[in-house]
Amino acid sequence: MASVDMSVNLGGLAMKNPVTVASGTFAAGREYSQFVDVHNLGAVTTKGVSLNGWTGNDSPRIAETPSGMLNSIGLQNPGVQHLIEGDIAWLATQDVPVIVNVSGHSDDEYIQVIEALEACPTVSAYEINISCPNVDAGGMTLGTHAPSVERVITRCRNATKRPMIVKLTPNVTDVTEIAKAAEASGADALSLINTLLGMAVDAQTRRPQLARVVGGLSGPAVKPVALRMVWQCYQAVKVPLLGMGGIVSGIDAAEFMLAGATAVAVGTANFMNPHATEDVIDGLQRYCEQQGVTDVKDLIGGLVC
Amino acid sequence: MALLDETAKIISNTCVGPRLWVVTLKAPQIAGAVLPAQFVHMRIPGMDDHILRRPFSIYAADAAAGTVDILYQVVGFGSDHLTTLQPGATCQMIGPVGTPWSVPEGARKVLIVGGGVGAAPVFMLTQQAKAAGLDVSVVLGAATKDALVTLDRYTQLLGTEPAVSTDDGTYGRPGFATSLVQEALHGACEAGQPFQYVAVCGPQPLMKIVAGVAADAGVYCQVSMERRMACGVGACLSCVVDTVNGKKRACVDGPVFDAQEVCW
Repeated sequence: MASVDMSVNLGGLAMKNPVTVASGTFAAGREYSQFVDVHNLGAVTTKGVSLNGWTGNDSPRIAETPSGMLNSIGLQNPGVQHLIEGDIAWLATQDVPVIVNVSGHSDDEYIQVIEALEACPTVSAYEINISCPNVDAGGMTLGTHAPSVERVITRCRNATKRPMIVKLTPNVTDVTEIAKAAEASGADALSLINTLLGMAVDAQTRRPQLARVVGGLSGPAVKPVALRMVWQCYQAVKVPLLGMGGIVSGIDAAEFMLAGATAVAVGTANFMNPHATEDVIDGLQRYCEQQGVTDVKDLIGGLVC
Repeated sequence: MALLDETAKIISNTCVGPRLWVVTLKAPQIAGAVLPAQFVHMRIPGMDDHILRRPFSIYAADAAAGTVDILYQVVGFGSDHLTTLQPGATCQMIGPVGTPWSVPEGARKVLIVGGGVGAAPVFMLTQQAKAAGLDVSVVLGAATKDALVTLDRYTQLLGTEPAVSTDDGTYGRPGFATSLVQEALHGACEAGQPFQYVAVCGPQPLMKIVAGVAADAGVYCQVSMERRMACGVGACLSCVVDTVNGKKRACVDGPVFDAQEVCW
C-alpha cells in the first residue's frame, strides 16, 4: 500500500489527518466512541459551549428535508465548567487534538468561556461560533455583520494565543467580506459553512415542522453551497480553511480540499452512519493512493479551472 | 452496554392491520441483547434522499432464532417505504438503544397499558413480568377492532384476554383505554390488593392521563416517550423531553421515564 502523508496544519493546529467533526453532531465523541476510535480523527470538535449552560429550544427540534435535515437545537449545553470536568476530562484520555466550539450571547461571554478554558491543557484550539442560526443573541446575528465580527474576534484574539478558528455563516450576501473581517481580526483559520437558514411546513396540520419555525439546513443538500463558499474564501483570504457541509465520503472530503480547504469536518453524516468519520478518513487516503498523491496537502486548492 | 451495529436481513414483512405491519429481521446480536422498551435506530435502504435513520421499538425478540419483530404504523415516507421491502433486503441497525422498563424491586402486581402501536414496546415487559411470576394485568386500546393486532399474542401469553377498548366501540369497551385503567387501579385498591407499578406506552395524551390516574392512586408509573431523533446515540440533543430535572434525551436517558419526572 502506497503511503500517504495525511497530516495537515490548520492555522497552528497540527492534525494527523484532515478530518474532524462538525460541532454539535458528535457531542465530544464519547457516544460515538462505541463505533469509532476517536483517537483516529485529526481532531475532535466539541459541541458549542457557553458560560453557564443553555437549555436550548423547544421540541420538535429537527425535521428531515430532501437530502438533508433542519435542526433548531439552540446550543443546549451544560456550561463550560461542566464540559471541562466531564467531556474534556474524557478527551484527555483519548490522545486527540481538541477544538472547543465557543458560543456566547454577548462579547463578554465569548471571552469568559475562553478564559475558563485557557488553563485546561487538553484544549488544542478554539472554534469561535459566530454563526449559529438558532439563538436570538450572539451566533448568526454577530456573524453577518463585519464590524461586529471584527469587534468580537479581536477581543477573542487578545484572550488566547491558541489557534483560533472562526466559524462563518453562509447566510450572508458575500461570505468573503466576513472572512476578510475575521482574518483581519486575528483568526488563524476559518471554518465554513454553518447551517443554511431554512424551514419546513406540514401542509396537513398547517404548522411549521420545527417549534422555532426556522432552523439550520445541513446534509448532502448543502454541499454545493459549501463548496462554492470554500472556493470563494480560498481566493479571498490567506488563512487556512476548515470545510464542511454534506461530507459523507472520502471523495466529498477531497472535493472540499481541492476547492481550498486544508481540513474538513464530518457533520450530519454521523447521524446517517456512526462510522462516517473513519470512513471519510479511509476514503480520502484511498483517493490519494488512487490519484498517486503522496501528500494530502497537495490537494489543497488544487482545483483546475 | 455498548451499542451494537448490525446488518439485519428481513425475514418477513407483513401487513397485519390498517396501516399496521410487522417486520421480522434476522439480527442475532441485538435479538440476544435487547431488553423491554429498548429500540433500534434503523437505516431503511433504498431511500437515500431521506437521510435520517428511524427509531423502531422492538415488539418481540427470539434470541434462539436470532430474530426481532417490529410492529410499525405507516405514518410517513420512511414507514411507507419500509412496507415495500421484501425478505432478503438488509437494514443497518444500531441497538439496542435506551433504558429499559424497571419494575420496582419487590413489586408483585403490575399494570401494563398499551395504546395503539404502543402495545408493542410493552409486550416484552409483559413477557418478563409473567416469567418473573408477577401478577400482571394488561389494558390495550386501539382505534378500531382491526387495529387490535397484538391482542392474540397478549391473550396467548396471559392465558386470558386483556382488558380492551376501541375508540369506535367495535370491540371491548367503547372509548379510550383510560377508563379501564382507572377501574383497574381503583378496583385493586378497593380489594386491598393495589398495583405497585404501572407501565404505559401510547399516544402522549393517553400517557399523560394514565400518569395522572396512577399518581392519584399512589402507584409508581413509567412512560415511554417518542420524539423525532437524529443520531440515536445520545449526541445530537434532537430528541429531548422536558422533565423536572431539565431536558433529557429520549434516546439514551429514555425512552422510559418516571411519569412524575415528565413535564406534561
